[in-house]
Parts: sequence; structure tokens; C-alpha cells
Amino acid sequence: MDDTFLSDDVRDQIKEIGEADILVGIPSYNNARTIGQVVRAVQAGFAKYFPDERTLIVNSDGGSTDGTQDIVRTASVADYRTILAAHPIRGVHRIVTPYHGVPGKGSALRTVFAVAKGVRARACAVVDSDLRSITPEWLDLLLAPVLHQGFDFVAPLYHRHKYDGTITNSIVYPLTRALYGKRVRQPIGGDFGFSGHLAADYLEHEVWHSDVARFGIDIWMTTTAITNGYNVCQSFLGAKIHDVKDPGVDLSAMLMQVVSSVFALMETHTSTWKDVRDTQAVPLFGFEYTVGLEPIHVDVGRMVGIFQAGARDLSPIWERVLAPATFAEVRGLAATDTTAFRFPPGLWVRTVYDFAAAHKGKAINREHLLRSLTPLYLGRTASFVMENEHAGSAEVEAAIEALCLEYERMKPYLVERWETA
Amino acid sequence: MQGSFWQTLLGALDAFFAGVVRFLPGLLAALLILIIGLLIAWLIKIVVRRALAVARFDHFCDASGVSQVLSRADIRAAPSRLVGAMLFWLVFLSFLMAGMSALEVPAISRLIAEFFLYLPRILAALAILLVGFLLANFLSRAALLAAVNANVPSPRAISIVVKFLITILSFAMALEQLEIAKTIVVAAFVISFGAVMFGLAIAFGLGGRDVAKRVLERQLKDRDEPRDKDTLSHI
Repeated sequence: MDDTFLSDDVRDQIKEIGEADILVGIPSYNNARTIGQVVRAVQAGFAKYFPDERTLIVNSDGGSTDGTQDIVRTASVADYRTILAAHPIRGVHRIVTPYHGVPGKGSALRTVFAVAKGVRARACAVVDSDLRSITPEWLDLLLAPVLHQGFDFVAPLYHRHKYDGTITNSIVYPLTRALYGKRVRQPIGGDFGFSGHLAADYLEHEVWHSDVARFGIDIWMTTTAITNGYNVCQSFLGAKIHDVKDPGVDLSAMLMQVVSSVFALMETHTSTWKDVRDTQAVPLFGFEYTVGLEPIHVDVGRMVGIFQAGARDLSPIWERVLAPATFAEVRGLAATDTTAFRFPPGLWVRTVYDFAAAHKGKAINREHLLRSLTPLYLGRTASFVMENEHAGSAEVEAAIEALCLEYERMKPYLVERWETA
Repeated sequence: MQGSFWQTLLGALDAFFAGVVRFLPGLLAALLILIIGLLIAWLIKIVVRRALAVARFDHFCDASGVSQVLSRADIRAAPSRLVGAMLFWLVFLSFLMAGMSALEVPAISRLIAEFFLYLPRILAALAILLVGFLLANFLSRAALLAAVNANVPSPRAISIVVKFLITILSFAMALEQLEIAKTIVVAAFVISFGAVMFGLAIAFGLGGRDVAKRVLERQLKDRDEPRDKDTLSHI
């Protein structure tokens, strides 16, 4: 096993533990506010749903300075009776270690995969350390399909506000679905279940010094599982509520990271996706229910303003990226006032496909290319918000489904653009 | 008298022929060097063009904006052909100078020595200009994208200022490298740079006093009480 990147201490702990049936990995960096609750939820999940299995929690930390690691070492469920579970006889093993390698969630998960391989775990899950809505049931929903149903990869399905997750809804989900033919609704959800076999397979890929290690691990895990023919399913986890994010996080950088990860994978798996024409639903576990969600404020005028500024100032870039007809249509939209502004789904799909082809052909510097997508994305998001102002969640989901079908219908256009890029 | 005339004539002819005999090997050597230089320059041109084609140099120039600038200057040749031609003439001129030095004419030899001493400076200046140009294009576009995405007013003006400053800086550095009017170049650069900054300060502080006031107020207000920003999670 290539575990040379693991510290001697971790290797000693693996030897001491021997084998474990179930492993849950928690990547972290300065999450002292929330990680205690996440660890307790995992412990409770183990006690309630897997009392007879040998269990292990691995905290792979990026060098926290707020006591995150100490909290993981000491957090425990005070009274198991309150969750209607008996006190576990076996106890839960814990490995708390800083990860090595380039800073990022990918490097943290690489350590988790290596430990999973070392203890020969049968089923594994990773959950984010900033979760506020995790419950013990999440463990059952992410691990049981692997342990009892023979699945290799469990993607999460969350209930979200109709305006939330717009990068996922307008780019990542429909594009991944159209490319690889599997309808995985949250391909970059962040909380996944997977088999020990798949964890070992992940380790074999030479991606641990690339952007996958920095920021692209979620979509990489999903895409690798699908393209390598593993059994994929999804589990309904309810609402996903994070700790309050840093308001200074730059949307443009975030969009660039997500989209560049998807586009890079398109290049890796070109031969796989080119011939895929149909899409299939993947099995869904869990009992779906509606969730009360916090209202969301969206400044549509600001979004349209940025789109219009883009159309005015970024035209020389867009002209080199977009097909002539698409470029003309996009420029035409800029003249519309905010209330009447609409960015049609077909135009959006052609825009994304043109950007994917330009990314492959390196038409301009890739970072600049992807940053120039931000005003277009905001234009599409503003249009989506206005179109669905009075829609319920089912209607919004139908609109997203219609967009997905448009991505699928236009796929020959992508193939054509891709080949000439 | 007659004998002396013939002696003088023959002496002059002897001297002329001796001069020609002395000069001829040098001339032949110069011609040979020139022909070899022509062949080597031609070979280098072909090899460089092919290598650049394989390295997709024209594509890189399209992507980095070099082709557009050349086209604006009415230079229609592909960048790879241009580089090939430049190298051809550089190699050919070097051989020409080497050939001329074979003639052993002191004035020409001095000139050639100076040319070869100056050549590295010309190449360094060209490299500075090229890097400066690429950097100016890259950073001005980065500034434009950042300004548009952050909804900053007048993004294009910001981008032009960035491009202008880097271009001035690279020109000043190139001229300094060529040792052309060193002190004047440095002084001109300091004055131009200072003028741009001073102009911007005046334009912003006086011409756009109200805008400056609004921007500062907004900044301070944002720090004290954040505005009602978007709360949707994009991922």
C-alpha cells in the first residue's frame, strides 16, 4: 500500500486498531464551533445503527489553531439512552491527525482513504466538519446502502431552498448528468458514502498534487465512481445547513474552482462521455420529506447589472469563446431592463458548452476564461430567480429537470464544438 | 626621367596587385562566410518555424493577444513566421559582420566589435519589451475581470491604467537597457508615472469629489453595518 504520506504515528495506530468494519472521515480546518456536534452525531449513528460493527472516526485536519483536534479527541455522547441506543460495548476508535500534502479537502480525504485501506474498512463515509444539520440517521443513510445493499458510492440528496445551490443546479448537475448518463442530483454535495474497495481505488489515481487535492475532490469522487462503473446510488439526508460561511468568499473564485474541476474531468474522460446519449436515474434511499428553510435574499438588480457590465466590457473575451450566434444573442440580452430580463435555458446550455470547448482548446488563459463566466452565470441566476419567484419547490425542480433535458438534447453540439476546439 | 616614370608606374601597379592579392583571400573568406551564414540562417528559420508550429506558438499568440496587436499594426504574417524571419535576419547579420571583419579593414573591424558588444543589449531590450507586453495584457485583463465581477464602476478605465503603467515601465526599462539617454529616460518615466498618479488623485479627489465621497461613505458604512447582501449559497 502506498501509505508513505501517512505519519509514523498514524501507521502505528492503524496497526494497533487492526481492522474496522466502518470508517467515517471528517476533514477539518478551524471548525471548533461545529465539529463536536458532528463527532457526537457520528458516535450516536454508530451506536444506533451499527452497534455490532467495529467503528473508526478519522479526523484529517489541515492544521487548525482553534482546538479542533482536541474537541474531536474529547467529544462524546453524554447519555446514549436519549437517542434510544444502548451504550456501545466495543467503543469507537479515533484517529486524529494532521494531513500531509497540498492544502485542501482532497489531501485530507486522501489520508482518510489510506486509513480505510489500512484497516480494511468495508464501508466508509465522509462528512463535512461545518455541518449544523447532521443527525445520527445520516450515518445509516450513507453507510447502509454500501454495507447491506452492495452499492459502492452513495451521493447525498438534500432539501434546499429553491434559490440555493445555483452552481450545482445550473451547471454541475445537468452537465455531469448529460456527460456521464447518471442522474446524481448533488454531485458536489460533500457528504458521501463509499465502499472500502472504492476508497482503495481512489488512492491509486495520480491526482494528489493537482487541483483535485486542493478543491476538486467532491466532483472527482462522484465522476470517478460513475466512469469506473461502480454501483452508484443516493440517499435523502434532509436539509443541509452549514456553519456561517466567510462573507468575503469570492463568488468568481468559487465558480472558477468548481467549473474548472468539471471541465478538467471532461478532458480526462472524453472517450467515456462522448458516446453517452441516455441518462438513467440512480436508486434513491431514505424517506423524503419537506423541510422548513430560512428565507433567502437575492439582489437580482445587482446580478443583472454585473451581467450588463460584462456584456459591455468583456465582449472581446466572450466573442472569442462563444459561437457567433450565441455571442450575438448574449449581447442582445444586455439591452433588456431588469424586470424583463430573461436568460433562456437553451442559450445558457450553449454558453456552458462553448466555455467547455474553449477551456479544452485553451482559447485564452484558463483562469481568465472561467472568471469571464461569472457575469453570464449571474445573468442566468437572476433570470432563474425571476422566473421562479412565485414557484413552489416542485415547480422549481421541474424547471431544473427541463434544463437538464436541454443539456442532453444539445449534447451533439458539445461534441461538435469539442472536436473542433 | 622616362626610367623613373616607368619605375613609379610599375611600383604603383606592384603595390596595387600586392594589395589585391592581400585583399582577395579576405574577400573570398568574407563571401564564403556570407554564403554559409545565409544557409545557416535559412536552416534556423525553417527549424524554428516548424518547432513553433508544433508548440502551437501561433495559438498561444492568439490567446495572449499578441496576434491582435500585430494585426492592429497591420502586420499580417503569422507570429511563428515573424519570429522565423527575425531570427533569419539576426543570424544573417551576425554572419555578415563576421564576414566583413575577415576583410581586416580597421574601421569596419571597430564597428563590428561595437555591434557585437551592443547585440546582447538589443536582445535584452527586445525580451523586456515582449515580457512587458505580455504582462501588461495579462494583468490588464485580470484587472478588468476582477473589476467587472466585483461590480466596480468603470472597469475598463482601471484596465487601461494598468496596461498603460506596465507598458511605460517596460519601455523605460528597455531604453535603459539600450543606454539611450539614460538620465532622460529615468526622469521621463518618473515624471510620466507621477503625472498619471497625480492626475488620478486629482480626478478622483476634485473632479469626482462626490463619487469619492459616496465610495468612502459606502466603505465605512459596510464596515460598520454590512449591507443586505445576497444570502443564497451558490454551491
